[in-house]
Amino acid sequence: MESSIDEFFRNVLGERTAVADQLENVHGLAWEVVDPALLALCRMRVAMLLDYQYELGISKIDLDAEKISSLSQWSSSSLFTERERSCLRFTEEFVVDVSSIPDSSAFAVRDHLGDEGFVNFVNALLVVEQRIRLQTVWEKIFQEVST
Amino acid sequence: MTRSLRVPSSNFDNRFREALSLWQEEVVQLGLVDPVTTEMVRLRCAEHHDCHT
Repeated sequence: MESSIDEFFRNVLGERTAVADQLENVHGLAWEVVDPALLALCRMRVAMLLDYQYELGISKIDLDAEKISSLSQWSSSSLFTERERSCLRFTEEFVVDVSSIPDSSAFAVRDHLGDEGFVNFVNALLVVEQRIRLQTVWEKIFQEVST
Repeated sequence: MTRSLRVPSSNFDNRFREALSLWQEEVVQLGLVDPVTTEMVRLRCAEHHDCHT
Protein backbone atom coordinates (compact mmCIF):
# COMPACT_ATOMS: atom_id res chain seq x y z
CA MET A 1 0.00 0.00 0.00
CA GLU A 2 2.75 2.43 0.96
CA SER A 3 4.56 1.74 -2.30
CA SER A 4 1.41 2.67 -4.24
CA ILE A 5 1.28 6.00 -2.41
CA ASP A 6 4.95 6.58 -3.16
CA GLU A 7 4.16 5.76 -6.77
CA PHE A 8 1.30 8.26 -6.73
CA PHE A 9 3.65 11.01 -5.57
CA ARG A 10 6.25 10.05 -8.17
CA ASN A 11 3.63 10.21 -10.91
CA VAL A 12 2.48 13.64 -9.79
CA LEU A 13 5.97 15.00 -9.34
CA GLY A 14 7.16 13.62 -12.67
CA GLU A 15 10.67 14.85 -13.41
CA ARG A 16 11.01 16.35 -9.95
CA THR A 17 12.51 13.14 -8.66
CA ALA A 18 14.63 14.85 -5.99
CA VAL A 19 11.48 16.05 -4.22
CA ALA A 20 9.93 12.59 -4.39
CA ASP A 21 13.18 11.02 -3.12
CA GLN A 22 13.35 13.37 -0.15
CA LEU A 23 9.67 12.93 0.66
CA GLU A 24 10.06 9.15 0.71
CA ASN A 25 13.19 9.46 2.82
CA VAL A 26 11.72 11.79 5.42
CA HIS A 27 8.48 9.80 5.56
CA GLY A 28 10.43 6.57 6.12
CA LEU A 29 12.46 8.17 8.90
CA ALA A 30 9.32 9.47 10.59
CA TRP A 31 8.35 5.84 11.22
CA GLU A 32 11.79 5.06 12.61
CA VAL A 33 12.04 7.88 15.13
CA VAL A 34 8.55 7.45 16.58
CA ASP A 35 6.93 4.29 17.92
CA PRO A 36 5.21 3.08 14.71
CA ALA A 37 2.13 1.85 16.57
CA LEU A 38 1.68 5.29 18.10
CA LEU A 39 2.26 7.10 14.82
CA ALA A 40 -0.09 4.75 12.97
CA LEU A 41 -2.81 5.52 15.48
CA CYS A 42 -2.30 9.26 15.09
CA ARG A 43 -2.09 9.04 11.31
CA MET A 44 -5.38 7.20 11.25
CA ARG A 45 -6.95 9.95 13.36
CA VAL A 46 -5.59 12.58 10.95
CA ALA A 47 -7.10 10.66 8.03
CA MET A 48 -10.44 10.51 9.84
CA LEU A 49 -10.46 14.23 10.54
CA LEU A 50 -9.51 15.07 6.96
CA ASP A 51 -11.93 12.46 5.63
CA TYR A 52 -9.25 10.76 3.64
CA GLN A 53 -10.69 7.31 3.03
CA TYR A 54 -7.72 5.81 1.24
CA GLU A 55 -5.39 6.35 4.17
CA LEU A 56 -7.92 4.76 6.49
CA GLY A 57 -7.47 1.47 4.68
CA ILE A 58 -3.72 1.29 5.09
CA SER A 59 -1.39 0.90 7.98
CA LYS A 60 2.32 0.59 8.51
CA ILE A 61 1.55 -1.95 11.18
CA ASP A 62 -1.42 -4.01 12.24
CA LEU A 63 -3.55 -1.95 14.56
CA ASP A 64 -6.03 -3.55 16.88
CA ALA A 65 -9.42 -3.60 15.12
CA GLU A 66 -11.32 -2.72 18.27
CA LYS A 67 -9.02 0.22 18.86
CA ILE A 68 -9.54 1.47 15.33
CA SER A 69 -13.30 1.33 15.66
CA SER A 70 -13.08 3.27 18.94
CA LEU A 71 -10.59 5.81 17.71
CA SER A 72 -13.03 8.69 17.41
CA GLN A 73 -13.98 8.06 21.07
CA TRP A 74 -10.40 7.85 22.32
CA SER A 75 -11.01 10.39 25.09
CA SER A 76 -13.63 8.23 26.80
CA SER A 77 -12.55 4.76 25.71
CA SER A 78 -10.63 2.58 28.14
CA LEU A 79 -8.77 0.96 25.25
CA PHE A 80 -6.28 3.80 25.02
CA THR A 81 -3.34 4.44 27.32
CA GLU A 82 -2.58 7.87 28.76
CA ARG A 83 0.38 8.09 26.39
CA GLU A 84 -1.87 7.44 23.40
CA ARG A 85 -4.49 9.86 24.66
CA SER A 86 -1.97 12.67 25.06
CA CYS A 87 -0.69 12.11 21.52
CA LEU A 88 -4.18 11.84 20.04
CA ARG A 89 -5.27 15.04 21.78
CA PHE A 90 -2.20 16.82 20.41
CA THR A 91 -2.84 15.34 16.95
CA GLU A 92 -6.40 16.62 16.84
CA GLU A 93 -5.35 20.09 17.93
CA PHE A 94 -2.48 20.03 15.44
CA VAL A 95 -4.87 19.27 12.57
CA VAL A 96 -7.56 21.73 13.60
CA ASP A 97 -5.40 24.73 14.56
CA VAL A 98 -1.68 24.14 14.77
CA SER A 99 -0.92 27.62 16.09
CA SER A 100 -3.22 27.30 19.11
CA ILE A 101 -2.18 24.05 20.72
CA PRO A 102 -2.45 24.57 24.48
CA ASP A 103 0.64 24.19 26.64
CA SER A 104 -1.12 21.48 28.62
CA SER A 105 -1.47 19.31 25.50
CA ALA A 106 2.13 19.86 24.44
CA PHE A 107 3.57 19.23 27.88
CA ALA A 108 1.50 16.07 28.30
CA VAL A 109 3.11 14.62 25.18
CA ARG A 110 6.54 15.79 26.32
CA ASP A 111 6.02 14.16 29.71
CA HIS A 112 5.29 10.82 28.04
CA LEU A 113 7.88 10.92 25.26
CA GLY A 114 10.64 13.09 26.69
CA ASP A 115 12.10 16.23 25.08
CA GLU A 116 13.63 14.49 22.08
CA GLY A 117 10.68 12.15 21.66
CA PHE A 118 8.33 15.11 21.71
CA VAL A 119 10.18 16.95 18.93
CA ASN A 120 10.47 13.75 16.91
CA PHE A 121 6.75 13.15 17.33
CA VAL A 122 5.74 16.67 16.27
CA ASN A 123 7.93 16.53 13.17
CA ALA A 124 6.73 13.02 12.28
CA LEU A 125 3.16 14.21 12.67
CA LEU A 126 3.94 17.14 10.38
CA VAL A 127 5.26 14.77 7.71
CA VAL A 128 2.34 12.34 7.78
CA GLU A 129 -0.25 15.13 7.99
CA GLN A 130 1.22 17.09 5.08
CA ARG A 131 1.48 13.91 3.04
CA ILE A 132 -2.22 13.21 3.57
CA ARG A 133 -3.15 16.80 2.73
CA LEU A 134 -1.05 16.66 -0.45
CA GLN A 135 -2.67 13.40 -1.51
CA THR A 136 -6.12 14.81 -0.85
CA VAL A 137 -5.57 18.02 -2.81
CA TRP A 138 -3.77 16.43 -5.73
CA GLU A 139 -6.30 13.65 -6.13
CA LYS A 140 -9.12 16.19 -6.20
CA ILE A 141 -7.30 18.32 -8.76
CA PHE A 142 -6.70 15.33 -11.01
CA GLN A 143 -10.30 14.20 -10.69
CA GLU A 144 -11.49 17.66 -11.76
CA VAL A 145 -9.03 17.82 -14.63
CA SER A 146 -10.03 14.38 -15.91
CA THR A 147 -13.77 15.12 -15.87
CA MET B 1 -0.31 29.72 25.76
CA THR B 2 3.47 29.79 25.53
CA ARG B 3 4.93 31.48 22.47
CA SER B 4 8.49 30.70 23.41
CA LEU B 5 10.07 27.35 22.64
CA ARG B 6 8.62 24.56 24.78
CA VAL B 7 11.66 22.35 24.26
CA PRO B 8 14.94 22.88 22.39
CA SER B 9 13.90 22.47 18.76
CA SER B 10 17.29 21.11 17.72
CA ASN B 11 17.01 18.32 20.22
CA PHE B 12 15.86 15.53 17.95
CA ASP B 13 17.11 12.76 15.73
CA ASN B 14 19.94 14.10 13.55
CA ARG B 15 19.05 12.00 10.50
CA PHE B 16 15.45 13.10 10.73
CA ARG B 17 16.38 16.76 11.11
CA GLU B 18 18.67 16.58 8.10
CA ALA B 19 16.02 14.75 6.05
CA LEU B 20 13.45 17.44 6.87
CA SER B 21 15.87 20.15 5.77
CA LEU B 22 16.71 18.35 2.53
CA TRP B 23 13.03 17.84 1.71
CA GLN B 24 12.23 21.50 2.34
CA GLU B 25 15.25 22.60 0.30
CA GLU B 26 14.10 20.56 -2.68
CA VAL B 27 10.56 21.94 -2.41
CA VAL B 28 11.61 25.61 -2.31
CA GLN B 29 13.87 25.06 -5.31
CA LEU B 30 10.91 24.10 -7.49
CA GLY B 31 10.42 26.77 -10.10
CA LEU B 32 6.79 26.38 -11.09
CA VAL B 33 5.53 29.14 -8.81
CA ASP B 34 7.02 32.61 -9.03
CA PRO B 35 9.40 33.63 -6.20
CA VAL B 36 7.15 36.36 -4.76
CA THR B 37 4.14 34.05 -4.42
CA THR B 38 6.38 31.30 -3.04
CA GLU B 39 7.77 33.64 -0.39
CA MET B 40 4.33 34.95 0.55
CA VAL B 41 3.05 31.42 1.02
CA ARG B 42 6.17 30.45 2.97
CA LEU B 43 5.79 33.43 5.33
CA ARG B 44 2.08 32.71 5.81
CA CYS B 45 2.80 29.08 6.63
CA ALA B 46 5.59 30.10 9.02
CA GLU B 47 3.24 32.46 10.81
CA HIS B 48 0.51 29.85 10.98
CA HIS B 49 2.92 27.28 12.40
CA ASP B 50 4.48 29.87 14.71
CA CYS B 51 7.79 29.01 13.07
CA HIS B 52 10.61 31.50 13.46
CA THR B 53 12.85 30.19 10.72
